[in-house]
Amino acid sequence: MTDITYPDVVNYAVPFFIAAILIELLWIQIKGRGGRYETRDAVTSLIMGAGNVASGVLLGFIAWGFFMMLWEVTPLDLGTSWWVVALCFVLDDLRYYWVHRFGHRVRWVWASHVNHHSSQHYNLTTALRQTWTYTFTFMMVVRAPLVLLGFHPAMIFFVGGLNLIYQFWIHTEAIGRMPRWFEAVMNTPSHHRVHHGRNPRYLDCNYAGVFIIWDKMFGTFVPEQDDEKVDFGLVHNLGTFNPLRVAFHEWVAIFRDMIQPGLTLRERLMYAVAPPGWSHDGSRLTSDEIKAHHLAQRPEDRDTPGFETP
Amino acid sequence: MPLSVLIPIVVIGIAGIAVILHLLGLTAPRRLSDTAEALAAWAREFPETPALAARLSADQRAALIELADGETGLVWCIGADTVARPLMGADVIDTEAGLDFHLHDMAAPHVSVALSADERIRWKEFILA
Repeated sequence: MTDITYPDVVNYAVPFFIAAILIELLWIQIKGRGGRYETRDAVTSLIMGAGNVASGVLLGFIAWGFFMMLWEVTPLDLGTSWWVVALCFVLDDLRYYWVHRFGHRVRWVWASHVNHHSSQHYNLTTALRQTWTYTFTFMMVVRAPLVLLGFHPAMIFFVGGLNLIYQFWIHTEAIGRMPRWFEAVMNTPSHHRVHHGRNPRYLDCNYAGVFIIWDKMFGTFVPEQDDEKVDFGLVHNLGTFNPLRVAFHEWVAIFRDMIQPGLTLRERLMYAVAPPGWSHDGSRLTSDEIKAHHLAQRPEDRDTPGFETP
Repeated sequence: MPLSVLIPIVVIGIAGIAVILHLLGLTAPRRLSDTAEALAAWAREFPETPALAARLSADQRAALIELADGETGLVWCIGADTVARPLMGADVIDTEAGLDFHLHDMAAPHVSVALSADERIRWKEFILA
C-alpha cells in the first residue's frame, strides 16, 4: 500500500488564514485591545510563511524519500482506518513536542526555529512566521519510528498538517482563557503566549503542539501568570525585518562561532549542539543562566512557576 | 491546491494585508519619549549590564547608553518596538545625516541614527571616552 493520498490541508487552509488575520485585526481595531499589529512585522511574518511553503515544495522530497525508504523496510502496515489516523495524530503530536523541545535546547535546531520567535508581536501573522531551513536540522528522523510502526508517510504528513493548522489560532492575544477543561488538555492561546515569552520565567516551557498534557507529563508546563504579562520576542531581539536575515541569522552565527580561532574541537561542536546562549568563555547566557540571574536578583520568585527547583 | 491558484492567493493576501495595515496607520515609526524609556529599553534586553545614562537622538528614534562597566550601548526603534546592542566592536561612520553603526551582527547589521552636527560630535566623544 504505497499509493494512498491525503489532501494538502495546509495549502487549503491559506484562505482561512488570511480571513482570520483580517478578523483579528478588525477585532483589535474595534475593541482597542487583544493584541497589536505593525506593518513591516506582519509582512515579514507572512513572507516567512510563504517561504516555508516554498521550502516544502523545493526540499520536501528529502523527508518524503527518507520516509518512503523506511516504509519499504518496515513489515508493519496499520492501514488507513479512522482510529489509525487518530492514533497517528496523537503520536505525531508527541513527536512534535520533542522536536519542539530540541528546537529550544539544541542550537542547531534552534537555528531553524528561532525565526518563529523573532517577532515582538503576538498575533495570527506570528503563527505563519515559519522556518525555511527545517530540513537541515535533520529532525525528520524523530518521525522515523512512526513509519516503522506502520503509519504510512502520507498519513504522517497529513496529521502533521492538521497539527500546524491547529496551532494557528493559538497565536493571539485576542482570546484570554478557554474553559478550564479545555485549558487542562489542549494547547491554548494562554499556554502558547507563555511559550513565546522572553521573560526569564517563561523561557523554555510549553512546547506542546495540540495537547498540553505532554508538557504536564514531562515537567515543562508553566501557566500564564496574571501578575506577569508576557513580553514577546527573543532574549536579544532582531534589528531587521529582512526575511533572509530572519531565516538565516542563527545559522551564520553558529558558523562564525565555530570558526573562531583558538577553540578546541569540543568547543566548536558545542557551539552547534549546546543550548542557545552557550559560549566557551561564559560571555553569554543560556536560559538556565538567565533564570539563575533573575533569581539572584529576585529570590522571592524561587519555586514559583517557571522557577521550580528540579 | 495547484500552485497556479495558491500563489495568487498568497501574493494578493500578503499585499492586501500590508495595504490595510498601512492605511490603518500601523506603519508609524516608534519614538522614545524620554531617556527613561531608552534606559528601560536597554534594561529589557540587557538586565545584567546596568546603564547609567542615556542620550537621545534628535528624532528620538535612538539613544546612546552609558553603561556601568564603562562601555556604551545603543537602543533604537524598529517598527513599533525597540532593540538594543552593546557597541563594543562596532564600526561608527560619519554620514551627512548623523552616524551609521555597523554592528557586525547578522541579526542587527546596521543602524543609521539621525543627528545634528553638534550631536554627532557629542555622541562620538561619548563613544570614544
